[in-house]
Amino acid sequence: MDLLQRFAHGEIDAFETLVRQFQGDIYAWTVRIVRDSGVAEDLTVETLWRIYRARHQFRPDGNFSAWARQISTNLAIDHLRRNRPEQSFLVEPAGVLQPDPLVQRETQERIQQAFRRLPAKLQVAATLALVEELPYDEIASALGTSVGAVKLRVFRAVRILRKRLSQAEVRPE
Amino acid sequence: MKGLEDKYMTEHDERQIRDALRQSFPPVKTELRKDLWPDVLRKLDHHPVRVPWYDWALVGLSAAMFLAFPRLVLVFAYHL
Repeated sequence: MDLLQRFAHGEIDAFETLVRQFQGDIYAWTVRIVRDSGVAEDLTVETLWRIYRARHQFRPDGNFSAWARQISTNLAIDHLRRNRPEQSFLVEPAGVLQPDPLVQRETQERIQQAFRRLPAKLQVAATLALVEELPYDEIASALGTSVGAVKLRVFRAVRILRKRLSQAEVRPE
Repeated sequence: MKGLEDKYMTEHDERQIRDALRQSFPPVKTELRKDLWPDVLRKLDHHPVRVPWYDWALVGLSAAMFLAFPRLVLVFAYHL
């Protein structure tokens, strides 16, 4: 019986081997989305725990890595949804991006703030596509959706972000 | 013409927003700092997989039905 079959039958040794093999990949994926190492570690542990709990649903001939990535992406989306900033966005105009490092830093913080206020699914698609520059098909697979849907989410994220930044008079150069 | 203009604006917007985001979100370190297996094991020990109460209720109800109406076993077997 191979490793994935033994895991699907609930063998803890097989699961330990899979954890050691895939924990790095799951963490790397999660930290790209949440951008916080501590949170990413917690979410990786949660992902692995859920994987073990759902082992009966896993088909041993399936792709373990893709399955794990979908679970971790869903958990990251839930995390972003729960931790979305509540306060109203950018009350005061921030001004144009300027060479002054302090002003630049402030502008970047405002852009981050605006980004964190996006709906979680848009945020994840935009992070992976625009910040991490990952291929759309890879993102679509992790989100369990189509390439077209990912492009639409990125488009909507850009439009909302553009509108909010322009309302706050933040002009990225 | 309008469509082309919109397309250009969209691509331009996307490029500008992407650059701004890449400046605002510096690359993250993707290497895992520690082995997470002990944490996973601890979580498995503290949150053992439990069968939910409604599953037990379903089993109990099925058993009661089969005891009360033994012929249901045949119907059940036929549908399996």
